[in-house]
Amino acid sequence: MRTPRALRPLIESLATVALGLVAGGLLIWAFGHSPVAAYRALAVGAFGTREDLLETLAFATPLMLTALTFAVGVRGGLFNIGAEGQMYLGAVGATFVAGMVPMPAGVHLAAATLAGMLAGALWALIPAVLKAWRGAHEVISTIMCNWIALHLSMYLAINFLAEPGRAERTVPALPTARYPVLSEESTLTAVVFVAVAFALLVYAYLWGTRAGYELRLAGENPDAARYAGVRPERVVVLSFVIGGLAAGLAGASQVIGRPPAWSLYATLGNVTTLGFDGIGVALVGRNHPVGGILAAVLFGALAKGGRLMEYEVGVLSELVRALNGIIVLAMAVPELWNLVGRRLGR
Amino acid sequence: MREQAPRVWMRGIHKVYPDGTAALKGVDFHVHAGEIVALLGENGAGKTTLMKVLSGLLRPTRGEVWVDGRPVHFRNPSDALRCGIGMVHQVFTLVPPFTALQNVLLGQEGTRVLSPLPEASARASVQALLEEVGLEVPLDVPVESLPVGVQQRVEICKTLYRGTSVLILDEPTSALTPVEVDEFFRFLSRLRDRGTAIVLITHKLREVLEVSDRVVVLRQGVVAGELPTSSATAEKLAELMVGQLTALRVRRTPRAPGQPVLSVRGLTVRNDQGRVAVRDLSFDVREGEILGVAGVEGNGQSELVQALTGLRRPESGEVHLEGERVPFLEPLALYRRGLAHVPEDKARFGLALGFDLVENSILGRQREPQFLSWLGRLNRPVILRYAQELVRRFHVVAPDLATPVRSLSGGNQQRLLVGREISKEPRLVVAMHPTRGLDVASTLYIRELLVQMRDAGKAVLLVSADLDEVLELSDRIAVMYAGQFVGLGPAEAFRRETVGLLMGGVVPAGDADAARAPSPH
Repeated sequence: MRTPRALRPLIESLATVALGLVAGGLLIWAFGHSPVAAYRALAVGAFGTREDLLETLAFATPLMLTALTFAVGVRGGLFNIGAEGQMYLGAVGATFVAGMVPMPAGVHLAAATLAGMLAGALWALIPAVLKAWRGAHEVISTIMCNWIALHLSMYLAINFLAEPGRAERTVPALPTARYPVLSEESTLTAVVFVAVAFALLVYAYLWGTRAGYELRLAGENPDAARYAGVRPERVVVLSFVIGGLAAGLAGASQVIGRPPAWSLYATLGNVTTLGFDGIGVALVGRNHPVGGILAAVLFGALAKGGRLMEYEVGVLSELVRALNGIIVLAMAVPELWNLVGRRLGR
Repeated sequence: MREQAPRVWMRGIHKVYPDGTAALKGVDFHVHAGEIVALLGENGAGKTTLMKVLSGLLRPTRGEVWVDGRPVHFRNPSDALRCGIGMVHQVFTLVPPFTALQNVLLGQEGTRVLSPLPEASARASVQALLEEVGLEVPLDVPVESLPVGVQQRVEICKTLYRGTSVLILDEPTSALTPVEVDEFFRFLSRLRDRGTAIVLITHKLREVLEVSDRVVVLRQGVVAGELPTSSATAEKLAELMVGQLTALRVRRTPRAPGQPVLSVRGLTVRNDQGRVAVRDLSFDVREGEILGVAGVEGNGQSELVQALTGLRRPESGEVHLEGERVPFLEPLALYRRGLAHVPEDKARFGLALGFDLVENSILGRQREPQFLSWLGRLNRPVILRYAQELVRRFHVVAPDLATPVRSLSGGNQQRLLVGREISKEPRLVVAMHPTRGLDVASTLYIRELLVQMRDAGKAVLLVSADLDEVLELSDRIAVMYAGQFVGLGPAEAFRRETVGLLMGGVVPAGDADAARAPSPH
């Protein structure tokens, strides 16, 4: 029996994750801990109780969105590593509407969410326009935009959004602009449903519509896309905007969808690196929106379970981040395997 | 006949690729010193695989290779070179900005990574080699500015300079003009007379009969036949190659052409380097005719086709479709006016190799309302039925519709592409190299489809480097040279030799009328 084609990427990704865990185990062992005990703590910490599982999903929520940013870029032939900056601006946009613009319940939550998404998309337009009409390489421009976004967001947070009397964070979201908490024992809110729905919507868009087809065509073969009458500038803008919406939503989710702060720290401490982490998540998820959701749950589990691993076994939390890196590196193994096969097999 | 042991003897060679394809199923092959062996076969018959095994690029799954009576195991091309076996590939491995001399010396055994090339000291020996074998190569010109034919000589010189006495050539004539081919064959004969063993991979029957001493025909990974060239005929070789006697010619009935469908006036197009590639070109293609454009590649054909199909903005000139000027030459606008385009490089322009058959079947047609439902969504059921229809009607062989097009053979890829374009019900078909690299069956089929289009009253512009294809299919023939048509007239007015000379930029004395002053009609 041959494996169904659709399942191949999933199986390969799972094998990669397993490989990464084994390599990570060696690392843990090298630091003088028992890998078995460490992984048991990791699993218990991530999935042990209902609350642990929910908390894992809370960690996964922003990651599936920033992974989406990167994935949509790759599908359109772009290397968009600007999720980090777009996410900052999304958080700022959501904070502003949620904390400073009173509105009726219901409308307020939607408005704050949209404000975050639009802010992310607007920020993504800068590298998009530079790429589409000036040919500036998106890797350079998105990295630059990330730095600008960092300092711009801190400036806005400190000078315009700060909570009076508290320098370390912005005004909290008004109760009308907070996603309902799903369980008192965890920080998971209903924003997870919005995140999953958005990822699925993007999936349906990319694979089910004419515009999505053209976007993927441009990523797969730019010359064939021109042959099919696709304008490259449009694809660049479209894929940046979708990515920006996703990253903006990720930023918003950490302000209006994550207790207990319900606000943005002035140092951006509650959102930093979520954008970069999304790149690794997207790679493990094979640049697929649905794969990204699954991979985000995995990385969420590592983040959540890693805390118990540190607490119970004494493994440094830095090792957990190293584990993330090893898994991403292991993604290169199938290609390496092919390469070795070409050398030896032929 | 021959007493001495063969230079190379391959016995029972099997090759199974990692994806499970059995490319060779027990092939025996040998070549003697001072002999030209033609290795004939369709695409996918295993010719190139067999020679890659011999030149150390691939390892056989099973079987032995003997050189001068000793078994050898090549791990890489350097091992093979040490035994005097060298291969010249279809795609050259030259460094474009380097001179011919530098290219010949590059990667030479014994040169250190960081030391400069021993240009001064090696010049004399390279020169001597060239004189000995009778090759003319300007040594101090960057190879990128040399014509393809001369680049090939550099490539051959590079291989010979490494001491090659078994020379493998993979489709060496594909980019040469007929004049160059003759010269090239004379060179091969001289080389043979010096004692070099030569293996010529080809699928052109004429070449086999003209230059080789012995023919080995491969079919689907086994030797289908082996015979001295003196007792071979084109029909016999073709039969061995395809397994049955196929009519090698497409039948074409006379037909009076109608109104012009495509009118080109004063078209000038620049290439990527900004040089004028198409110069002030005017011509018509009429209903129910095939206008064949012959010419050596690189004389502006690509730029012409790209301009006519909206892939390249022309510098000046007008294009009319059915009497109406096309204001913006853009793909979608042209498709709407009835253009079907079979591009020169199917994998680059016409297909997305990572997409499956279904998605490729609407490439370029994705905006047609019949394939869409509300909100710009793709109408999956309709597209699926359409893809099934294409596969059935144009005999595309594929495991299933969800197969990525990458894993189809070239012939099946082209069937899908041509089928898709033809099923648009076009008014004008622009096809460039439509059968390049295809197996015989697919080639015949694609050519038949083009003739069917013509018979159905479509206008067909056929641009091809394959002279036989142009001669066989065209109602009128144009020869493109240096961005212009140096000859344009009814097909009957052209003899093969005439076209060959025109392709090389030579206006034959007797045919001056056909060549001079090409009128639009």
